[in-house]
Amino acid sequence: MNPLLKTWGAYVRLSSRWPAIASIVPFIPVLALWWATTALEIFPRVFLPGPAEVVRAFVDLVYKGILPEYLADSVVRLAVGAAWGIALGIPLGVLIGVSRSAHRALWPLLLFFQAIGDIAWLPILVIWFGYGLTTMTFVIVYTVIFPIVLNTVLGVRSIPINMHRAALSLGASRPRVLWEVVLPGALPNIVTGLRNGLGYGWRALIAAEIIVGTSGIGFLMFDARRAGSVVEILLGMVILGTLWYIVDSWILAPVERATGERWGLVTR
Amino acid sequence: MKSLRVRNLSKTYFDPYAGTKVTAVRDVSLEVAAGEFACIVGPSGCGKTTVLNLVAGFIPATSGEILLDGRPVKGPGPDRGVVFQSFALFPWRTVLDNVAFGPKMRGIGKLEREKIARQYLALAKLSDAAGRYPNELSGGMQQRVGVVRALANEPDVLLMDEPFASVDAQTRMTLQEELTRIWQEKRPTVLFITHDVAEAVFLGNRVIVLSKGQVLEEIAVDLPRPRAWDVLNEDERFKALTGRVLQLVRAA
Repeated sequence: MNPLLKTWGAYVRLSSRWPAIASIVPFIPVLALWWATTALEIFPRVFLPGPAEVVRAFVDLVYKGILPEYLADSVVRLAVGAAWGIALGIPLGVLIGVSRSAHRALWPLLLFFQAIGDIAWLPILVIWFGYGLTTMTFVIVYTVIFPIVLNTVLGVRSIPINMHRAALSLGASRPRVLWEVVLPGALPNIVTGLRNGLGYGWRALIAAEIIVGTSGIGFLMFDARRAGSVVEILLGMVILGTLWYIVDSWILAPVERATGERWGLVTR
Repeated sequence: MKSLRVRNLSKTYFDPYAGTKVTAVRDVSLEVAAGEFACIVGPSGCGKTTVLNLVAGFIPATSGEILLDGRPVKGPGPDRGVVFQSFALFPWRTVLDNVAFGPKMRGIGKLEREKIARQYLALAKLSDAAGRYPNELSGGMQQRVGVVRALANEPDVLLMDEPFASVDAQTRMTLQEELTRIWQEKRPTVLFITHDVAEAVFLGNRVIVLSKGQVLEEIAVDLPRPRAWDVLNEDERFKALTGRVLQLVRAA
């Protein structure tokens, strides 16, 4: 028992000094299981290649320049779509959150269109805009915007009325209250919306690339299926997960720590 | 500092579920002289918070007038500073930035408004907390910030809505003593709402008893200042006054 506790203590100290360790360790058993399954050849190698082969495919595709190009294409598409989604979603959410009449007018529409999932738009979008960036951007913006709007509305509405009143009786004008109270007060929820939105957007992008793409990670995976290359499909899957992990832990989580958690609006 | 005058103030709500009209405040008239500390006391549901919300301009009156030095006011504004029972500090601003908020809205530059804020923080012995966020402070400290934030904006009238009701008993006594000290130093016009009879008598120059949305009686409190709990607890006049007000409130 004692050496076990000691090892555990050492791990806790180590991972608090280098947080990267804590984010890698959980993957070790998964990788080990994967490796063991393939080493024992439980499934034929062609259907389930091992980690080493995926790494080899990764190096190969990076060397050929295909992977960096596809990856950049996907990331840029997501970034453009997300930027539009944020630029439209936050103001819309604030409007619906603040104004009763805007809420009455727009909420039912919001729920209606939310139900028509991203993919359900693809058939008509392809007819309207063809196979290209416009179609993909539309799908991503469409996917990103709903979680952002819904969470922003929730955030705006959960600000205690006395917070508005305090600002007004300290001399803030109504537009100033929007900037000084409503936006910061809703920020933790906006970040949650962003996190959900980007997560859904990322998935929608892959789906869109599979159907209408000519490049990108989704296209890579679909193309690999055509060529029967399971290695590249697995590589695509690993990249999807890794990239999202990076976006979440390097961008979204630090923002959350610096805002809602610091202010005590979100419990750690 | 200005005088506050409320004339024939009434507030009637329509209750859409009961389908009836509810009168929360009925024809209330009262006056707070410039530099006076007036307390409104009454049982819960007597309309005292509604009176404060009307005076603060948070809700519109059905009829009546609110005058600051004879000038009618409408809607919320920096001439009436408010201290809330729930503190209502901005969690995303440090203590210093909370206190500097009012001056900031008046367009005072960063250096100057932080100087003002530091002065007022020192007044409440809060200088050490300047850089902290409200959620890092105890309830008593948070409400000190709330009082100082309202004062730093130099309002004509300070409105306080049961500000010490949500802190523990010991802290409450300290805060009450500090408030009388700060009031003596700055002499703001104060309208203080409470359900606590002893608190009203301890703090006020005058206690206004409210019942069923109407002013029942006004009682002058001529106890000497500075006031301290360990002195007043033994004071016969304090006991007599509290007894009298308590009787009125309980009968209300």
